[in-house]
Amino acid sequence: MAYNSLAYLVVFLVPVFFLYTIVPKRYKWIVLLAASYGFYLMGSGFLVIFLLITTVSIYFCALSLDKVAKNAAAVRKTLPKEEKKAFRQKIDKKKRRIVLLTVLVNILILLVLKYYNFLGGAMDVLLASIGLPKIFPTISRQIQPLGISFYTLQAISYVLDVYHGKYTADRNFGKVALYLVFFPQIVEGPIGRFDLLADQLYEGHAFDWQRTISGIQLILWGLFQKVVIADRADILVGKVCGSFANYSGITVILTMLIYTLQIYTDFAGSIDIVAGSAQLFGVSLSKNFDRPFSSHTVNEFWRRWHITLGTWLRDYVFYPVSISKPIFSLGKFARKHFSTFLAGLVPAFISLFCVWFTNGFWHGAGVKYILYGMYYYVITILGLLFEPLFRRFFEATKIDRKGKGFQVFQVVRTFFLVNVGMLLFRANTIGSFGAMFVSMFSGFNPSVLTDGSLLSLGLDNKDLVVLAVGTLLLWIVGRLHTKGHHLRDELAQKNSFLRWGLSMAMLFVIIIFGAYGYGYVAINPIYGNF
Amino acid sequence: MDELLQILNTLKPGVDFTKETDLVKRGILDSLTIITLVNELKDEFDIEITLLDIVPKNFFSAQTIYDMVKRLQDE
Repeated sequence: MAYNSLAYLVVFLVPVFFLYTIVPKRYKWIVLLAASYGFYLMGSGFLVIFLLITTVSIYFCALSLDKVAKNAAAVRKTLPKEEKKAFRQKIDKKKRRIVLLTVLVNILILLVLKYYNFLGGAMDVLLASIGLPKIFPTISRQIQPLGISFYTLQAISYVLDVYHGKYTADRNFGKVALYLVFFPQIVEGPIGRFDLLADQLYEGHAFDWQRTISGIQLILWGLFQKVVIADRADILVGKVCGSFANYSGITVILTMLIYTLQIYTDFAGSIDIVAGSAQLFGVSLSKNFDRPFSSHTVNEFWRRWHITLGTWLRDYVFYPVSISKPIFSLGKFARKHFSTFLAGLVPAFISLFCVWFTNGFWHGAGVKYILYGMYYYVITILGLLFEPLFRRFFEATKIDRKGKGFQVFQVVRTFFLVNVGMLLFRANTIGSFGAMFVSMFSGFNPSVLTDGSLLSLGLDNKDLVVLAVGTLLLWIVGRLHTKGHHLRDELAQKNSFLRWGLSMAMLFVIIIFGAYGYGYVAINPIYGNF
Repeated sequence: MDELLQILNTLKPGVDFTKETDLVKRGILDSLTIITLVNELKDEFDIEITLLDIVPKNFFSAQTIYDMVKRLQDE
């Protein structure tokens, strides 16, 4: 059930909201839990078993970790100081075994369900290269429980946080279950954290008129991005990428730009629908986008794009790898044998590799996705390695890196690099990405902008105007946010005629200009496939 | 404190760490600099820094970093 479908918005969300509103406060979380499992069963059926396994495993893992920690704390108090360190190491080892087992079980489930064909195929290639027969038959339709890539990350963050002592285990099984399955975010995030989300879900919120209106406005804004812009852009992108050999030059460049627009409005729009839905129940989800195309570097872009994935990778991959004993020892070794500059970068090289590899692989089972991660890894590493050279160059040329001109250059450069990454992400194969990338620089054909060729790509004049005006509106709203405006809060202060007028206008724009119905194909959210 | 300031000045030359009080928010200490700093602190002060310690409030200023080091030395 896609979040942009009438089935979700009208048949599912509205009744759940009314039920949540009328039941007493202490039962409200049960409504959310039952609705979330209902939503999950409708989307995944018996595959709910995997979600249950994950829920049960993290619930008991966290309780065990807590028990070990509490027992240890009682014993530790009685020990002399010189024995405390050895005792703590012994307890850490015990806790590590528990948490490792749980994390590995959950990663294994994810690997088998999402990556079986890819990993099995890779193993078979290896076996064939040493003359052994293939042992991993390809499954024609791989089973994949709804949102497994998202809820697995939430599950891992919960047990790791309890392991590190960030908070204690929760004894309420229903609360842990709701944290993993909350229906607005199960399909495509944002990836929540237990300490920020669980209490909000559990405590129950009374009806609030202003909050409800604000939630509906956010849903409408998300629908506008998804249905009016992203799904319309998909028509053109699908046509060009489907027969890329027929196109070159400006047509491919335009397709790349429009795909970037599509994936942003698809994902950010869906997240707005998700956040608006959660807001109806008084739940505030973590921010997932923060005007990513105003970034000056690709690193900044990834701090502003899919923020909850970036922070997850930072907290549970980057920092743990960076400060682990082997990396610490390697850093020490490097300090003895290399320059201070290079030695400082050695831990970063390894931990960033882990981050970008995980990022790419998380997005999909294929070499293309791994390359997608490696693309950003190489850019990041080159940036770090050449930084001293850049610094000397700018000092010698007296170019002001903080000047307006240079800032604009940085934003344009980052935008270009991100667009190339998006093309790799969208292309059907690595070969087709290569062909499309090269074709951008061949057959320079500005005449396509005026000779009507663009109208043969699936969108007519009206569609192109809607796409252009929609993008302009998106840009204006982004600029207003940059300048510190909180549009929905400000709208709430206006008279009811303006408030309702704008909301109704947005609804009509979606109904009239949405890419659905005859001649259009309903498009599921891109990130919903992960 | 002098040893700490020396480490910080080597990592980020040109910053007056005695005056800066918002190192994280101002982007002076990003995640890459923080991991280098953490590994330097572990080496220099023989302390165990865990993930629980890598939170913004411990890296606001030279003083908060110093407080964290002292606390971990006492543990």
